[in-house]
Amino acid sequence: MTPWLMAGLLFTPLAWAVLTLFPAFRLGRVLTRLGILAQFLVAAGLWMTVAQDGGFYYPLGGWKAPLGIELRVDGLAVTFVVLTAVVACACGWHAGDYLSPETGRHRYFWPLFWFLWAGLNGVWLGADLFNLYVGLELISLCSVGLVALAGNVGALRAAIRYLLAALLGSLAYLLGVALIYGQFGSLSLAGIQALVASAESFPGAGVGLFIMILGLALKTALFPLHGWLPPAHGIAKSPVSALLSALVVKASFYIAARLWLALGEELGSFVLAQAVGVAGALAVILGSWLAFCQSRLKQVVAYSSVAQIGYLFLLFPLTFGVPDSVVQLAQQGIALQVISHALAKAAMFLAAGNLILSVGSNRVEALAGVSRFLPFSLFSFALAGVSLMGLPPSGGFTAKWLLLQASLASGQWWWLAVLLLGGLLSAAYVFRIYRASFVESRGQDQFYHPPRVLEAIPMMLALMSLCLGFVSEPVLAVMSLPFEEGG
Amino acid sequence: MASGALLPVFALMTSLLASLIIFTLPEDRGRVRTLVNIGAALIKLALVAVMIRGVAIGQEYLLAFDMLPGVEFVLRADALAMLFAGLSALLWLLTTIYAIGYLEASPNRSRFFGFFSLCVASTMGIALAGNLFTFFIFYEMLTLSTYPLVVHRGTPKALRAGRNYLIYTLTGGAVLLLGIVCLHGLVGDLRFQEGGHFAGAGPELRGALPWVFFLLVSGLGVKAALVPLHGWLPQAMVAPAPVSALLHAVAVVKAGAFGIVRVVFEVFGLESAQSMGLLSVLVVVASVTILYGSAMALYQVDLKRRLAFSTISQVSYIVLGLCLFGPVGAAGGLVHLVNQGIMKITLFFCAGNYAETLGAHRIDELDGAGKRMPGTSVAFTIAAFGMIGAPPLAGFITKWMLGIGALAEGMDWVVGVLILSSVLNAAYFLPILHRLWFRERTTPWPKEYRWGRLETSVWLFWPPLMTAVMTMAIGVFAAMPFSPLAWVILIVSREVAL
Amino acid sequence: MNAVAPHLLLLSVVLPFGALALALWPGGRFFYRYTLPWLPLPALCLGMLAPDSSLELPWLLNGGLWLVDDLRRTFLVVTALVWSVSGLFAVGYLKRVHQTRFCVFWTLTLAGNLGLIVAADIASFYSFFALMTFAGYGLVVHEGTVDANRAGRIYLAMAVAGEMAILAGLLMSAELADSARLSDLPGAIARSEQRDLIVLLLLAGFGVKAGLPLLHFWLPLAHPVAPTPASAVLSGAMIKAGLLGWMLTLPFGEVSMPVWGNALVLLGVLGALGGAALGLGQRRAKAVLAYSSISQMGLMVLMVGAALAEARQAGTLLAVVALYGLHHGLAKGSLFLSTALALPERRSGRWLLWGLIALPGLSLAGLPFTSGSAAKLAMKDVLAPPDYHFAMASWLPAFMSAGAVATMLLILRFLQVQNQGAARGDNVLCLWLGWAASLLASVLLFWVLPWPESVPDKRWLHEMLAGAWGLTWPMLLAIGSAAVVACLFRQR
Repeated sequence: MTPWLMAGLLFTPLAWAVLTLFPAFRLGRVLTRLGILAQFLVAAGLWMTVAQDGGFYYPLGGWKAPLGIELRVDGLAVTFVVLTAVVACACGWHAGDYLSPETGRHRYFWPLFWFLWAGLNGVWLGADLFNLYVGLELISLCSVGLVALAGNVGALRAAIRYLLAALLGSLAYLLGVALIYGQFGSLSLAGIQALVASAESFPGAGVGLFIMILGLALKTALFPLHGWLPPAHGIAKSPVSALLSALVVKASFYIAARLWLALGEELGSFVLAQAVGVAGALAVILGSWLAFCQSRLKQVVAYSSVAQIGYLFLLFPLTFGVPDSVVQLAQQGIALQVISHALAKAAMFLAAGNLILSVGSNRVEALAGVSRFLPFSLFSFALAGVSLMGLPPSGGFTAKWLLLQASLASGQWWWLAVLLLGGLLSAAYVFRIYRASFVESRGQDQFYHPPRVLEAIPMMLALMSLCLGFVSEPVLAVMSLPFEEGG
Repeated sequence: MASGALLPVFALMTSLLASLIIFTLPEDRGRVRTLVNIGAALIKLALVAVMIRGVAIGQEYLLAFDMLPGVEFVLRADALAMLFAGLSALLWLLTTIYAIGYLEASPNRSRFFGFFSLCVASTMGIALAGNLFTFFIFYEMLTLSTYPLVVHRGTPKALRAGRNYLIYTLTGGAVLLLGIVCLHGLVGDLRFQEGGHFAGAGPELRGALPWVFFLLVSGLGVKAALVPLHGWLPQAMVAPAPVSALLHAVAVVKAGAFGIVRVVFEVFGLESAQSMGLLSVLVVVASVTILYGSAMALYQVDLKRRLAFSTISQVSYIVLGLCLFGPVGAAGGLVHLVNQGIMKITLFFCAGNYAETLGAHRIDELDGAGKRMPGTSVAFTIAAFGMIGAPPLAGFITKWMLGIGALAEGMDWVVGVLILSSVLNAAYFLPILHRLWFRERTTPWPKEYRWGRLETSVWLFWPPLMTAVMTMAIGVFAAMPFSPLAWVILIVSREVAL
Repeated sequence: MNAVAPHLLLLSVVLPFGALALALWPGGRFFYRYTLPWLPLPALCLGMLAPDSSLELPWLLNGGLWLVDDLRRTFLVVTALVWSVSGLFAVGYLKRVHQTRFCVFWTLTLAGNLGLIVAADIASFYSFFALMTFAGYGLVVHEGTVDANRAGRIYLAMAVAGEMAILAGLLMSAELADSARLSDLPGAIARSEQRDLIVLLLLAGFGVKAGLPLLHFWLPLAHPVAPTPASAVLSGAMIKAGLLGWMLTLPFGEVSMPVWGNALVLLGVLGALGGAALGLGQRRAKAVLAYSSISQMGLMVLMVGAALAEARQAGTLLAVVALYGLHHGLAKGSLFLSTALALPERRSGRWLLWGLIALPGLSLAGLPFTSGSAAKLAMKDVLAPPDYHFAMASWLPAFMSAGAVATMLLILRFLQVQNQGAARGDNVLCLWLGWAASLLASVLLFWVLPWPESVPDKRWLHEMLAGAWGLTWPMLLAIGSAAVVACLFRQR
């Protein structure tokens, strides 16, 4: 069973990417929807397997490391695989109705989408530094392509900017990988971890780790390296923005987090951890503030991503030099934050797309009166907002709760302030949108009403992020399943 | 176990489902909406009644599961929960009836009633929450679901009020969350438990607990409108009358007060809270709030605004009662949870009636309204006297219990506060009554609507009268079984273990 | 009768509440005013006929107990009678404007007044007291004139202050007594460390209603502006509620409190004389009568003071105070009603009517063979100095004589003002009936009611004759001095 699942997981996207390369948009859509279903089932199956039997290493094609490619299939990875399946599924489906088939370039959405998915799965399951790099590059290139799909001058400019940032980040990462390889002679994360733990000193390794994290931070748009993100996410088509914000930035963060959790304790330093934390905190606060100041709807959502990404980087200080129980709390909190943000942000971008579609303008003030005639998309937007604000019962709340607990238990109480203030600031920008929609406008219902499907998809995502809070316990239970060697 | 665990969930679900159904209903399906609204309210009332009976004979309804590792989601129907749940179920029914009449032919009704039901679901959750974590979930849900109600009219004033409401309540929520997390960090997950948890707390806890208490109470105090955290409340009265009624009587303000009750009684425990010296501070805050609210109410010319300041003052009676250290005072505070709710909802209903039927918003526009709208005015009069604490109405029971409680614990000055506050209450309510009944109308009403035979719409006419009758009945039949007072005494006897 | 009594007790209080239902539909509203005279009748039966009885209402408030005993019976009779005759008068007096409103407030006030008399538990007593106070406002401001509104405002302000003092006092004493019964309060107060504070609160609280000097400001404003039947019940019946409040709560007979006794006696004298002095300057008949009420209440306050100072004498004294209250209530009710009567055109009829109008007044002044004479004789008898040991005791007879002179002077002033102000013409039948009934009650009833056992009966002929000179010389003195003053004015 497992080999089939693994094969399905990795090769379906690639196969579909090739398959959708040539047909027109409509045929691509049909094909993609079939593929989405298959992929979703595979992801769910894998999740079930792991939930039952625990995690394992899977040597691709039966060739074990260091010769072959070995995949690390643990609870965390498989959770993210499922998350990707859900979000990609929603965005793909949404895109099929959202993108206009008449525009010729839109047909490239499908192959890019599938390559992106393949890259993401590769990153989640990758167990050595070079494979991760490959996955990362694949993701970056696809993302840039997707951004450029919007087609206008602004989109191209944003895409180029994105491309440059992504390449710079990749280069930094590669440099770091080279340094690490020079030190340890191994690319396998587990192998390096074992070597590091063997108490020899590796003078250059710390620098390597730092450079890698720096590069990844650039790709994740950690403040103050976030400059490329808002234009790119803001200008891209809504399903694309949703994919980028929900999944793409998480991939680079995921690698950074894996590196840090494996090597940080030995190679990192308190100052580095705190510095990353401070950058994250600044991202939370300034990002929220900037989001509050934006006048265009999607820019608000994009800056909100900057802020929410800031939370993720609190992982670094909260797992450095603290007891294992705190590390556990922080890890769980961040994982939940990733999941809930992915769901909520995807919902939010898709809903924002609907709103823009119906009022015919991307300005926040244009929403006046929408709450009267288009409550469904607005409601999805608001529910997603609940999760972003970290209010119960959303996944955002349980994540925040765990992070609060972790910062309290680690004695680093200053992060408490960041978490709480961040929540309030995000309330400020979410409710700004909401408030605008409550302004009573004189006019009649002159809004375009998007098809039901377009409205239902963000709602489902938003509800999932909202209800994540209630099922946090089982989700976390799978994530922290014991790891079984070999498999 | 099975039915026992599910009853609280059903009670929650009735309004949650109602809200979902209503959200999806098109605007023009008024009849279906009304049916869903009232049907859900009746079902919920029945469920709550069943649970009240069960709790009275010592049954317990409990549902618990882990939401996070080491953090439980607990729904539990105990006596205290049923006090609040009963109140909100009852008043929800009446307010729904009222709101249907009030919003007749106004836009956005689906949105309104959807959030309205959501708001009641949150209130029910607050009542049934079995630990602070669960309480917080519903507490924040309440904030979110009331915001759309506050800004319902969409005017700049309403939006401004909504913004301030959010700033206050979300900040309060953040502080509360901090308090809950700190408490969790200190002692782990705590279910609410009669008598509290810290009876034998060691010195290492005693250092930190007062700070936690401070955080919790100041977080809750925002909604309970304790001075100086009350700023949002007078502004929030721009909301439609049924919303104000619900906000002031059951939902928001009471949620804060109820939270303080839970924290004092069932987290800290009355005795340990007292021995840590926590209540002495709170009693002063409550007293200041009582007097401040009453004094400010004197200066308001807008009827609803005056009522809003009155709420600030009245809700603090609940807090005051808790801080009187003794069972009698505690009973007085708790019974005010119900009494204030019923009286204040009557007043807001009436204020809404005057506004809707006569177009009268300011107090000086009410001259002679008693002749034009006798039913509403009788209800208003009864409730106003209840607020003043005139016997034998509901408010008197509160004041009497509080007074006796204060004297029993040697806090004679509290009686002074009660008396002074009553005088102030009289000073701002009696002139209104004079205008209603003894001023002649010389000019036409600002904006009058005719409804046929009755003085106002049927939907608007009966709810205030019914609550006014309740105001009287609660006082007159205070010694009956299942009266709020009897129920409160049951609660207190379980809490303090007399 | 024993079996019926509890039901009658319930009916006396509930009937007025039931009458409120008449306000609900137009036919009932038309009919409403005709019920006013009948509403107090069950209470009257209860007071006149029923034996001691009690009614437990465990579901009421903190557990209710209503009862009738000797003290309450006296108050019930006067209250029910005054309300009944005034109600009859009101049927003829009322104008169409705001008639229902008046009837509603009348009924509520009546219910409160009757209820507070029979209530024996703290909560229902206080409830009825408050009901009477607040509903009474509706009677005071009924006319809606500037004066009425001003009087109403002051009435309400002082009433609220009084209510609060009572609430504080009751709270403190109830907490001490740990009981919901009024009868447990005096003992608890007597034993308390905070006795003086509680006594002060209760004295002041009920004193507002009783027109205690310095707390009386509302009274001369409110009593005259109210519609005449309302004035009659305010001065005749409701004012006694304060008195009853004192009697039920203060620690009479439990402990002697000479300081409070002295203070009250002084206040009483101040009221009796000062009220008269101010009353003489009034130009409206009802204002004169209002001050006369203060003056008369002053005499009762004086007795209450003596009772407070001497625990041994308290029982007897209170019985006399109740008697005096009965007499004053009926007489004052009749006097107030007569202010609204128009005098006949014919001279003989006018003189006859004058005599009849003056009769209750003279009775107040203590004319022999009237109720006043019996009450005053009894009062003199029990206030004999040798029984008392507090500072003011030796002055009591002098105070009483001075009070009698003052009373007579006030009555003369009333007659004079009334003569100047009264209209000429016919009266509606109900006015005649109401007034006549009040007069009869005032003149006759006193002689048929049972006399309290602890007090020597002063209604016998020989007693009257023996006390006649003591009663008449103050009257003559007053008439003489009034004549002198009148001559002086005429010469000028």
